[in-house]
Amino acid sequence: MCWWESPLPRWSDATVTSLAPARNLVFTFYPPVEIVVMQEQTELLSPPFDSISSIRFSPFNSTHLLASSWDATVRFYDVNANEQKAKFDQRAAVLSCCFQDASHAFSGGLDTYIRGLELETEQTFHLGNHDDSISSIHYATEINSLVSGSWDRTLKFWDPKSKSSQATSSHTLPERIYHMDLVGHTLVVAMASRLFQIWDVRNMQSPVSQRESSLKYMTRAVACMSDQKGYATASVEGRIAVEYVDPSPEIQDKKYAFKCHRQSIDDVDHVWAVNALAFHPLYNTFASAGSDGMVSIWDHESKKRLRQFPKYHSPVSSISFSHDGTKLAAAICDVWDEGDEASKQAKRPSIFIRALGDEVKPKSMTGK
Amino acid sequence: MAKKKNKTAIRPWCWYCEREFEDEKVLMQHQKAKHFKCSMCPRRLNTAGGLAVHIQQVHKLEPENLPRIENALPGRDGYEVEIFGMEGIPAPDVADYKRRKEIELGLNPGTITQPPPKKAKYENRVLSEEELRAQLQAHKALMGANDPSSSTTAPADSGANGAVYSATAQTYATPAVPPVPPQVPGTPGMPPPFFPGGPTPGGFGPPIGMPPGPPPPGFPVPPGFPPPPGMQLPPGVPPFMPPPGGALPFPPSFLPPGAPPLPFPPNMGPSPPGPAPPPQFVPASTSTPPVQSSTATPTHSASTPIPSSVIPTLQLPDESLKQILPDFKKPTKLHYTDPNFSPEEKRSRDPKYYFKESAPAVTTNEESRGKKRARAEDFL
Repeated sequence: MCWWESPLPRWSDATVTSLAPARNLVFTFYPPVEIVVMQEQTELLSPPFDSISSIRFSPFNSTHLLASSWDATVRFYDVNANEQKAKFDQRAAVLSCCFQDASHAFSGGLDTYIRGLELETEQTFHLGNHDDSISSIHYATEINSLVSGSWDRTLKFWDPKSKSSQATSSHTLPERIYHMDLVGHTLVVAMASRLFQIWDVRNMQSPVSQRESSLKYMTRAVACMSDQKGYATASVEGRIAVEYVDPSPEIQDKKYAFKCHRQSIDDVDHVWAVNALAFHPLYNTFASAGSDGMVSIWDHESKKRLRQFPKYHSPVSSISFSHDGTKLAAAICDVWDEGDEASKQAKRPSIFIRALGDEVKPKSMTGK
Repeated sequence: MAKKKNKTAIRPWCWYCEREFEDEKVLMQHQKAKHFKCSMCPRRLNTAGGLAVHIQQVHKLEPENLPRIENALPGRDGYEVEIFGMEGIPAPDVADYKRRKEIELGLNPGTITQPPPKKAKYENRVLSEEELRAQLQAHKALMGANDPSSSTTAPADSGANGAVYSATAQTYATPAVPPVPPQVPGTPGMPPPFFPGGPTPGGFGPPIGMPPGPPPPGFPVPPGFPPPPGMQLPPGVPPFMPPPGGALPFPPSFLPPGAPPLPFPPNMGPSPPGPAPPPQFVPASTSTPPVQSSTATPTHSASTPIPSSVIPTLQLPDESLKQILPDFKKPTKLHYTDPNFSPEEKRSRDPKYYFKESAPAVTTNEESRGKKRARAEDFL
């Protein structure tokens, strides 16, 4: 309905303008309300201004989400209220962020600093630093330590209460650390040159094992199964491998890889990078996100795709499940895989929150 | 880009997206088009309140379901604040914006906050012989005329005949390098009150040798006033002292006598450049002869944007682990083809993102603010 059809007397714009100088004119009808009925997908209203490097749901609260960005900020959202609760400005692009508890988080990025973020007061403190950009950080609840990986080829452990800016331990790895994932005490580190190391955070004397990726192209993502038995990894060449921690031959025989995030256009296979993986915390299925703008849900036990969501306008850079598994957040933005020029035409980044139903349950559970 | 006429006078800016505008009319047009446009019909309103009422009455939306104001910065997308052009901006936001602007322009703190210099009044009448003479002498004095006899009389006259005339002279006053520095005691040196917008009482005034008036952007903060944390020197400002001695554009003795107490020792030149405070004093870098500036500036334009040549290329830490991209059996278009460096590593070497630890880092929120806004603007 347009204003000229409006049965109510129309307030002319002039009337309103004339009220403008009255400073005490407060429009009190704006209480922030919770969107009770969650639509299938909602877009956050105040996304970062530049590409989003990683998004993480809080492990304690399914409405709290952190997003680190190339615009040198970390933002903290309440996704139900669709509100940005806090913003932390940093000196350079931020590559990774993680929660410690409900009100504390950490971030690391190109400025090589690990920063503690107090989500309620918007205060930051400096925990320590690496010699090169920090690519991935995780909080290990079992040992109350922060784990950070960097392109300087070191893995460092930090005591979040320490004021000394010294790492509790530092481990030199053979290659630059690109990605890490941590579930329970199992830490899987994905490095450049397709190398992997699996660590047990309770015993950091040496890695449990070092492996070469079963994929032939650069590792782009890694995610641990929620039952800690294995992990999934993905490469720039639209392919995902499912691997297991247990070194016994019969278990290792179960590992496999499959193609995804590709499309045949005019007899040419277009192959995109798989940028992110995430396991569902309850059902142990996993989601993959690619530079083709697709997010898919997979059941790695029955080796089936459970769902493919409609294509997004830009690549998907990061995904995260909420701790109760009811929501999936996806960051949509340019990921620089086409370089500098393509990024100039990139659309404004966005973050979508999707409410999940049965599509994330394995077939064996839904009985279909 | 066109040069801004007056650096200290703040241009109208939009509270919602922090964009600057030529004048308030354009700003209002912008607000109508970008922020007060109804998303459900083509109508544009004049204020946020107008928009709120429109959406409620025309589109029958409950007050609590009003869409946030479009294209606004986070936290500024509500209807609570009634903005009309520059009217209604909350005072803390104005102060905050000014401070960031100062940091961005490399101005002294508080420069913007003081009222913009008033234009000198002209009296439209035929000047008397005496006045004309006084004016001429004031002008000569200002230009650093080497005739001591004329300049000695100048201050008295200009003082007597009122500030109006001598003040106007500063408009063209660009005494770059006076041929011979006047050495007569009590010579020119316009008394400070004659400079509209001139040195502030606190000793924040422009360094000696500069044309009076507000320091141009790109002029470093005088020594003794360390820049606010995170302040960036604008491009083109040499971050260190010029070689002592010969490179100094003025003989060190050139000091307008009668100048207010100096915030720094008069002969900076020959003194060894020992452990000087970080923002070193570059005497009048803007008015130095071109030869000098051309040799000085290009070598160290250390601030953003960093020329790509300065950024080190990505190096493999271990050559033995170097990867080679395997071939495809079928015709395939792989969208990311570098086997040795990730897209993030490449991106980190782009001038827009490249980060180099420059100073012992102080982690304050202010630091990233100034430069970040500029980047955010690209997206609005």
